[in-house]
Amino acid sequence: MSSTTSAPVTITQTGMADFNRTTSRWGQITMIAGLLISLAGPLFLVFFGGLDITAAQLWIAFAAVAATFGIIWIVEPLTYYPVLGPAGMYQAFMIGNISSKLLPAALIAQTNIGAKPGSKRAELAAVVAICGAAAVHLMSLAIFVGLLGTWLISVIPPSVLLVTRLYVLPAVLGAVLVQAIVSMKQPRTTVFALLVSAVVVFIVLPLVPSLAMVSTAIAVLGTILLAWFFRCKEAINEATPHV
Amino acid sequence: MHQPLALQSLVPTDSTDIMVIANNPVLWICVAGVFGVIILQSVIFMKAARRAAPSVEMSPQDIKTSFRSGAVSAIGPSLAVCLVAIALLGLFGAPAVLVRIGLIGSAAYEVSAASVSAGTLGAKLGEASYTQSVFAVAFFVMSIGGAMWMLATLILTPLLRKGDAKIRSVNPAAMAIVPAAALIGAFSCLGLTELPKSGVHVLAFIVSAAVMGLCLLLAQRLRRSWLREWGLGSSIVIGLAAAYLAVGS
Repeated sequence: MSSTTSAPVTITQTGMADFNRTTSRWGQITMIAGLLISLAGPLFLVFFGGLDITAAQLWIAFAAVAATFGIIWIVEPLTYYPVLGPAGMYQAFMIGNISSKLLPAALIAQTNIGAKPGSKRAELAAVVAICGAAAVHLMSLAIFVGLLGTWLISVIPPSVLLVTRLYVLPAVLGAVLVQAIVSMKQPRTTVFALLVSAVVVFIVLPLVPSLAMVSTAIAVLGTILLAWFFRCKEAINEATPHV
Repeated sequence: MHQPLALQSLVPTDSTDIMVIANNPVLWICVAGVFGVIILQSVIFMKAARRAAPSVEMSPQDIKTSFRSGAVSAIGPSLAVCLVAIALLGLFGAPAVLVRIGLIGSAAYEVSAASVSAGTLGAKLGEASYTQSVFAVAFFVMSIGGAMWMLATLILTPLLRKGDAKIRSVNPAAMAIVPAAALIGAFSCLGLTELPKSGVHVLAFIVSAAVMGLCLLLAQRLRRSWLREWGLGSSIVIGLAAAYLAVGS
């Protein structure tokens, strides 16, 4: 991983060592703080909201989501690490929307100052660019969603609000599915996924409605197994050297 | 209120006025807290970067240019995220949308997590069975899901820093196939689950999917990346408009 040159080695190393120490210590502290604060809100509602919620309901709901996205929780940090670097990791996974917003910001900054990818300059440029992106993002969220959005909700006719509430889910998922299929570029897996999901939703669920709780987990597991056993072996072997 | 009897045993019978608890002052304080933590982190990282800059031959001008490039390039994507967030305000309320969709997570994961958790309670988001308790459980699960991402980052980053080669060479074929299969499998099952609900659901789903397909196609053909960034936002808005027209007619 070390890419330092011979002459100014000591200055570079102490300078970057200080940077690494500060960002990893404070990156961890701020991320743990963010984690705890983001959990505090829902925990408050669950325990003090005067609602009738059992621990079992929380665990079952969490287990169902873990079965759906558990793999992604681990794979995403692994995939982004080479681009973001250790300091950028602590920023990116708290600010969110990494691929659509933070990665382009980092890349443009590196290009604009002519930093070679993988160099120390590029690493610093990425961190600074993410700070810039975060500043813009926090501001636009506060103004457009916090202030304007809250006002918008209070003035739009109830009929529009009702339609939004009822149909925003299919409107999000239709687009998200197409986006996932196009960006993954795995036609074979896509066919398996659609096939398994169609069987689960249109055949299994009407016959055994009690499986509704685990339907997504079944579809995820089924797709993984089919995609794995019927994988296109030559293509993977060809792709291996690039990974 | 008008729930069929079968649901009443599964769904805690309480109010469906989500906004009352979704706008609880404590939740707003937590939003301010997350904003504050990110600002604090940015300030500390900026200072550290400025201190380290001379050692890698990076001028103060380079720092300024990097910050400005990052800020400017984030304007478009950031506004696109705001549009998606506004569309989801009616479902989750501002505090949850700001933290979950605006920051830590992303619309795709959070909406999916909420939908799956509501499903385990026998409820459907946005419908009569979407009670305050269902919202609280969904919000809790979205948040703990986001916490898992952060936990994975906290655990993996130091390991990757020490010896990333070993972890990333787990199995290239598995790394290529398994995550993609999990994602497409999850989103296709969640998407198809919307279809049997009603004809308007089918319409909203198909219109939104078509608009996204068109955006991605045009983005590639015309080499305009903003079309990709605004794809999700415009698909949701046009899908909802189609649903509104269909309901009204």
